[in-house]
Amino acid sequence: MSDEKKVEAPKPAAPPPPGPPPPKNPGFVTLVIDGKEVVAKPGTNMIEAAKSVGSEIPYYCYHPRLSIAANCRMCMVESSAAPPGKLVPACQTGITEGAVIKTNTDKVRAQQKMVMEFLLLNHPVDCSICDQAGECKLQDYYMKYDFKASRLEGGKILKNKRKKLNDLIVIDQERCVMCTRCVRFMDEVAKAPQLGVFGRGSHEVVDVSPAYGKLESEYSGNIVDICPVGALLNTDFRFRARAWFLSATPSLCTGCSKGCNIYADFMGQDVYRYRPRENDAINKSWMSDTGRLMYKTINKHRVLRSLSGRGDAAKEISHPEAIKAATELLKAHAGKVAFMASPVASNEDLLAAFAFARDALKLTTVYVSGRPDGIADDFLRTADKNPNRKGLENIARAFGLTVKPFPELANAIGKSVKALFAVGAEVPEDEAVFAKRAAELSAFVMTATNESKVTAAADVVLATSTHIEDEGSFTQEAGITQRFRRAFPPKGDSLPNWKWAIELSTSLGLELKAAASSREVFKALSPSVPELAAFEWDKQAPINQKRPGITSLPTGADGRPPGWREQGVPNIRGLSLPRGT
Amino acid sequence: MAAAGDEYDPTPSDDELEAHLQTRNMVVNLGPSHPATHGTVRLRIELDGENIVKMDTEVGFLHRGFQKSCENVTWTQVLPYTDRLDYVAALHNNFGYLTAVESLMGVDIPERAKYIRVIGAELHRISSHLTTAGALSLELGGFGAFLFAIEARELITDRITELTGARLTTSYGRIGGLNRDVPDGWNEKVLKTLLKVEELAGEVDTLLSRNRIFTDRTKGTGVITKEAALDFGFTGPCLRACGVNYDVRKANPYWVYDKLDFEVAIGHNGDNFDRYYMRVIEIRESIKMIRQAIAQMPQGPVMVDDWRIALPPKENVYNSIEGVISHFKLVMEGVPVPAGEVYSATESANGELGWYLKSDGSGRPYKVHVRAPGYQILAGLAHMCEGKMLADLIPTFDTINMIGGEVEQ
Amino acid sequence: MSTFALDQIQAQIPQALVERYVDRTGDAWGVVAREHIVAVAKLLKERLGFNLFISMDAVDRLHLEGPEQDPRFEVLYFLRNLERNELTRLKVRVNEGEDIPSIIKVFLGAEWGERFVWDFYGVAFAGGINKRILMYEEFVGHPLRKDYPLRGRQHLIPERPIKDIFRGPGTNGVQD
Repeated sequence: MSDEKKVEAPKPAAPPPPGPPPPKNPGFVTLVIDGKEVVAKPGTNMIEAAKSVGSEIPYYCYHPRLSIAANCRMCMVESSAAPPGKLVPACQTGITEGAVIKTNTDKVRAQQKMVMEFLLLNHPVDCSICDQAGECKLQDYYMKYDFKASRLEGGKILKNKRKKLNDLIVIDQERCVMCTRCVRFMDEVAKAPQLGVFGRGSHEVVDVSPAYGKLESEYSGNIVDICPVGALLNTDFRFRARAWFLSATPSLCTGCSKGCNIYADFMGQDVYRYRPRENDAINKSWMSDTGRLMYKTINKHRVLRSLSGRGDAAKEISHPEAIKAATELLKAHAGKVAFMASPVASNEDLLAAFAFARDALKLTTVYVSGRPDGIADDFLRTADKNPNRKGLENIARAFGLTVKPFPELANAIGKSVKALFAVGAEVPEDEAVFAKRAAELSAFVMTATNESKVTAAADVVLATSTHIEDEGSFTQEAGITQRFRRAFPPKGDSLPNWKWAIELSTSLGLELKAAASSREVFKALSPSVPELAAFEWDKQAPINQKRPGITSLPTGADGRPPGWREQGVPNIRGLSLPRGT
Repeated sequence: MAAAGDEYDPTPSDDELEAHLQTRNMVVNLGPSHPATHGTVRLRIELDGENIVKMDTEVGFLHRGFQKSCENVTWTQVLPYTDRLDYVAALHNNFGYLTAVESLMGVDIPERAKYIRVIGAELHRISSHLTTAGALSLELGGFGAFLFAIEARELITDRITELTGARLTTSYGRIGGLNRDVPDGWNEKVLKTLLKVEELAGEVDTLLSRNRIFTDRTKGTGVITKEAALDFGFTGPCLRACGVNYDVRKANPYWVYDKLDFEVAIGHNGDNFDRYYMRVIEIRESIKMIRQAIAQMPQGPVMVDDWRIALPPKENVYNSIEGVISHFKLVMEGVPVPAGEVYSATESANGELGWYLKSDGSGRPYKVHVRAPGYQILAGLAHMCEGKMLADLIPTFDTINMIGGEVEQ
Repeated sequence: MSTFALDQIQAQIPQALVERYVDRTGDAWGVVAREHIVAVAKLLKERLGFNLFISMDAVDRLHLEGPEQDPRFEVLYFLRNLERNELTRLKVRVNEGEDIPSIIKVFLGAEWGERFVWDFYGVAFAGGINKRILMYEEFVGHPLRKDYPLRGRQHLIPERPIKDIFRGPGTNGVQD
């Protein structure tokens, strides 16, 4: 201060008008957050700018992909650009050149404490029955910013604790902190502005607008994910698992060809839910409700043992028996076997399977099966309900195989096609119809993950693992190849498709380079596929050490060591437990 | 046989009459389970007659994976594992571990809790020393002193039971203080107990310290020099018996030891008797300390008032969301210990009980290293016994007071 | 906390001290290059009076974040000077497969410390004993490594022939 005065004193002329100081880094805004200099693009949010230097500003209502509401008041910070004595919401206030922001002063702490106290004032004592417990922001922030007893005297305000918004979503209005993330999501992202805030003051509730009566959107499940507390609940997941017992693995949704990135939350050898995983190029932070329920196919009606015989005559056979039975059938019809592959299988599966078709079965054409087309919309759902059609076509082309559509095969069954090898049991027509057609086949060998009418029609069903049980990749509709990670070992006696293909090739007398993992399959066979040649298989979708979204709880939080859940039942000497217990 | 022409000498030469038997060294196992040892340690002893030529100390029969267990539970859940380290004086481990965690977190516990920790630790020090002295006498054939010692120990164990709810596996104290205050009237009961303990410890002292049979067996046996003791990492009574003045309570006072008036016993021979006598003196000093601590103990809370560390009272847990959140987070995720590392030491009955703790900021320890005093002392046992008589091994093994639980973790 | 020991090491064997820092509780730590650990131990014991061997252990840094993972192991040495009432906290960082010169010749008590580190972390000591201490010789793996599974079984060890029972387990090869 004294220096300035000295400089100014000899200059009686008016001081230069107090304009904005020249930017320190042209094109960027330079400011100081908690004593650290931050250079950020203009328009960057204060919360994001603080994050880049490791200062955490807490928030409930802010979401990087939604509009700013600034109504939770949790992110208030001190800024030199603010009116003196006032705090500013970090989510809403733009960054200005030269501003000095403090996120950790007594005043800010007091503000956070007060906000937390108000938010918890009418919050029910629900942690023990709340699905969000363990991944709840109220809990996290209470321990960080409040940690004091309640001062409430008298009862809490009672609201509707179980209001069904639609078949998937339930709201517990008592738990809501009125951040309005869900309201904004439905309006801005789902483009279905059906939610609103009703009432005033402490009696405010989030509800469906009476004009709709029921939430109708294919993306309603996302409001459960973005709800920072346990107010919005997914009925499909509700009361089924405690969040801290689940482990998460980065994976992909198999519901359609969009290729939404997800986390698969699993415990033991069961998947409990899919949650969207951030990917700017494809699904942002969202996923569709149909995709969200795709995990059920992994848990239910699985083919856990290989089967031989059709319909009721089917009996479970061991792995060597299955190889033997399949080899005998294929040998008996050598040269006459048609090959059908489902685009639900991963690139690695198809690489091995097509190599098998080309080299062992000596084929030049393959038929494509797969799930029938479904509803598409202009956001995340595509009409093609198979995750890897593009990959299948790429690989077939590179292997010199002609891809023919399913109807050609369906019409030829019983006429020119007497024997069929199928990878995957998904067919784009009614399963009963196809099963009837398949009855005319004299030999029908297939790999299948789930039981269906189609598997009942096969002579030999080779039990196959799903994508969650192995490492691999899918190529989605726009040609982007993405990796998914293994969550747990294959259920039952099932094996991945690529393994079946390699073992059958070997037993048919073909000398294949033995591959011990899907990674080796990819490394060995992908260089011939131009679309996959440059794909960095090892670097994609790294596994987080700590669970994303949930405060760090290493596995084993239940007192049991990790390994129990990841690896299924341990092998205890002298005691063989049935699988899956 | 005298050669012809030599003068006959009737006196036999030194070795002439000895039967020159072929001898060979004999290997004897002491333990892992032997009536004259306490703790499952196996001593593989190579004997030349009665002299120990070589001795191998084999430990690990009681290994329980202490560190691995600790790395996979919350900071609070480590506590029961620490009971099983030095199970003769579990409170030393409990409090030592808690003190280390508290210094890693930078938490200062309430004054009253510090006094109660001192009282508990000193009670257990008396108990441990009585056990050592009693067992030593028992294994040298003196059953009476053992009974006096155990009677006094039982009295202390009763007080510990009243304080903690358990005889041996106390699991007492929590990060940030104590899980509960002393029971009503407990202090007075302790003071009365001390009178009785003083009398009984005096009996042990009288029966042993000037007993010719006892002193012949202990004086000048199991000697270790000051240099060797330091080299092996001896601490506690075993180091002080060699004349080294090192007691963590004096060197780096923790809790309220700087407010108490007590002496540190120093020996000079480094033999079994000195190690035994250090303990006799320390029992007296501990009794003195407990009396002072009870007199000075202030009223007040025994747990820090911070719901990030201390579990909230049950009525808050059941009736308020703040309480249930705090309880939930503390139980499910553990006390949040900030990332960092610390080496913290307290004086346990056998010496410096050190903890190296490393936290990665989660609710679980990243590393829990325990520097059990007995581990380093047992490492020096072979050095103390090689070249000595087999019979001296027993008192030596007694006076170093090896506790399987802490040595073998 | 006094930093006498670290200052002296820095002054007398400057190349030995790779890094020094003060932790959150205010205690000084020194990271010593592994080839200099014997010289540092000698200096500390013989000339600086750090003659009370406190303890040794190691940390497997596999699950730490980012740059702290490499090198993988951190072997800890604690030595005490009773006159100055000071504790030196030293670390030697090594990767898997690298060994550390043994300080048994300097501190007798380090034998069990080094055996512990070998037993539980698999860090070998050149010139040391490298024999298991708490686990049995037939044990496979090093259990305190972070990637050692928590659940599982070690293979069974065949029963020993009768004559070994007299000598006890683990004494195969002892001369009669």
